[in-house]
Amino acid sequence: MNFTDIIALAWRNLRQAKLRTSLTVIGVVVGVAAIITMVSFGIGLRQNIIGQALGRLDVFTAMTVFGADTNDLLALRSGRTVLDEEEEIADTDGAQQETTASPNGSPTPPVAARPRRALDDEALAEIAKLDGVRFAVPIVSFPGFVRFNERTRQLWAAGARAGDDPRLRNLLVGRGFSDENAEEVVVKEGFLEGYSDEAFRRRRNRRGNPGGPFRRTSDKSEEDRKRVAEAALGKEITLYSAPAGDAAPASIFGIPLLDFPNSSPRQSNEIANGSPDGLPNQDRFDRYVFRIVGVVKSEEGMGLPIYGGSDFYLPLEQAKRLREANVSPMERMGDTLTGHAGYWGAELRVSDPSRIKPVTSKLTDLGFRAFSLTNQLEEIERIFLIINSSLALIGGIALLVASFGISNTMIMSIRERTREIGIMKAIGGSDGEIMRIFFVEASLIGLTGGVLGVIGGWGIDRVANLLANRWILRQVGQTVRHIEFFSIPWYLSGGAILFAVLVSLAAAIYPALRAAKVDPIKALRYE
Amino acid sequence: MSILEAHNVTREYRMKAETVRALADVSVAIERGEFVALLGSSGSGKSTLLNLFGGLDRPTSGEIRFDGESLEPLSSREMSRYRLRRVGMIFQTFNLIPTMTARENVSLALAFAGLNGSERNRRSLELLDRVGLSERANHLPSELSGGEQQRVSIARAIANEPQVLLADEPTGNLDSHRAAEVIGVLDEMRLRDDKTIVLVTHDHELADEFATRVIRLKDGRVIEA
Repeated sequence: MNFTDIIALAWRNLRQAKLRTSLTVIGVVVGVAAIITMVSFGIGLRQNIIGQALGRLDVFTAMTVFGADTNDLLALRSGRTVLDEEEEIADTDGAQQETTASPNGSPTPPVAARPRRALDDEALAEIAKLDGVRFAVPIVSFPGFVRFNERTRQLWAAGARAGDDPRLRNLLVGRGFSDENAEEVVVKEGFLEGYSDEAFRRRRNRRGNPGGPFRRTSDKSEEDRKRVAEAALGKEITLYSAPAGDAAPASIFGIPLLDFPNSSPRQSNEIANGSPDGLPNQDRFDRYVFRIVGVVKSEEGMGLPIYGGSDFYLPLEQAKRLREANVSPMERMGDTLTGHAGYWGAELRVSDPSRIKPVTSKLTDLGFRAFSLTNQLEEIERIFLIINSSLALIGGIALLVASFGISNTMIMSIRERTREIGIMKAIGGSDGEIMRIFFVEASLIGLTGGVLGVIGGWGIDRVANLLANRWILRQVGQTVRHIEFFSIPWYLSGGAILFAVLVSLAAAIYPALRAAKVDPIKALRYE
Repeated sequence: MSILEAHNVTREYRMKAETVRALADVSVAIERGEFVALLGSSGSGKSTLLNLFGGLDRPTSGEIRFDGESLEPLSSREMSRYRLRRVGMIFQTFNLIPTMTARENVSLALAFAGLNGSERNRRSLELLDRVGLSERANHLPSELSGGEQQRVSIARAIANEPQVLLADEPTGNLDSHRAAEVIGVLDEMRLRDDKTIVLVTHDHELADEFATRVIRLKDGRVIEA
């Protein structure tokens, strides 16, 4: 008996007991719909959190690339790294020296492979062309004292390109830099806030920074924020810098002559807050005056300090010159020894969090070191895996219950059809063919239930999504972005249907064996 | 060579504590083209012998041979091929599948032989035509008379052209007129297509009228061959 005949026969058998078959199928439909609804919610949750929310937050699409620094370059030349030697020293007399202090004081990234290549403009252009990289911009940042609104604070100044620098894309008012040597600055809203009267009052009251790392989205309206920003446009700020160029060397053999503040910005702020012009040794600084030409919107949500993050941007060339003057003397000496080592690092954005890994490995291949928050992302992914598995398990239990229904239906049907099975055997049907008929019947139940279950699950998702969005709308009371809470990827529907068929087949094993064992003589003996 | 042989066949059924001996050391041979009537009262073992010939059952000891070859070594799968190709069985209660039309019932036997749909359609009509039922091909068994149902089951039995037809009291549920008609169809098959017929019955008149030979069984033994 060929397969199409078996299917036709099985279909005919199922149609004969329509009610019983329908009820059994409904059992499977409920099970599959439960799996679909549960898992699609889990997948939707994952997509909403990782893909949408975190993706927009930049935290998981941001990377920092490090090229070879002077230390690495020296190591490449001598074949032996300074770090190695220092480790040996540290081993013998336990002296701990800070050698890899990054120029902006951020924590040193975990040491992976030592970068082999300097991060210069050419390298950056190459990186920007990598698949999945949205942009790569150099990090040129240095600490400086900035006077604005008759107050002076220490902060990190960073360089940005003229024209279309992605960091300055999100302008609230104004424009980007006209030229990389222009005497212009672009600030973030946070900068203006930091110099506001209110902020100084709060700082004096030592209330610190309410909300912790969660920078609250300004509760002011867009117009208010714009007004504040407009007012700042065109205003002058003053940057105090260590003397640039051929001024007297700031250090001799690593002993700084300049009383450069290595302390934390907060401490310095306190000093600076003391008096409006509370800078020590003002004469030892050069003054540079810049004009505010643009204000960039604050990022929403978490304001995690990412490498190179800054509230205050200078044109790139200006920043380079000023950094030169303000870097630590040790580093300047290293630069002199190795020649130009390129940028300290670069800020990278990938198109979505899943690209972090391939991009990281490509960067390593190119000879750079990359740092990102992938481990944390993996942790979150793992949590979602657990959530999804649990949800699938709950759905699976519903399907398991349905499988007992299938077994029951098949056994009932075999009892009713014992005579028919006996006839089939008497006229030449083999045990295998009889079993196949029952397996096909069961998988038809599974397939029908699976397909209807997917449709049902999809329907439940749509209704639930509609209600949830309506509810959110009512709670928030204004127009919010429509949220898609559920996601049914093809592998979920396909997998659920396949699973339903497999469960049905498993449920049919015992009944099918029983059918095959029917003794035709006994089956045919009685009317 | 005999087409069907029973060699010292014993068939015992175990029923709880006691053992029932349905056949005791039976040896018979049926020749090609014969019309053999197996006669005996109920419990004489004639149906048991027929089931052994039909490959539905296996002897406790002794062996059944078809065309000189023992059925003993056949696997259950080979046994089902044997039932499909070598013998055709006809039962007192017709044993048609009640939810299938006459044509579908015949078609089922053809399906087990692996014929495709269009071939089955053609052939099942042809077979029904041979038993004079082409008009009633699309009727369910419940819409047919007893004689007609039995003729459908004959059509099904000869569907895969077996050499032997085994009939287990095929006229038991029919009046004498219909009975003669059904046996007439079988006899015609023997004469025209050279089939061998083994008929289990206790109707002496029918046996005398059609059978070429009578085998009598009593208490599981052959008393006349």
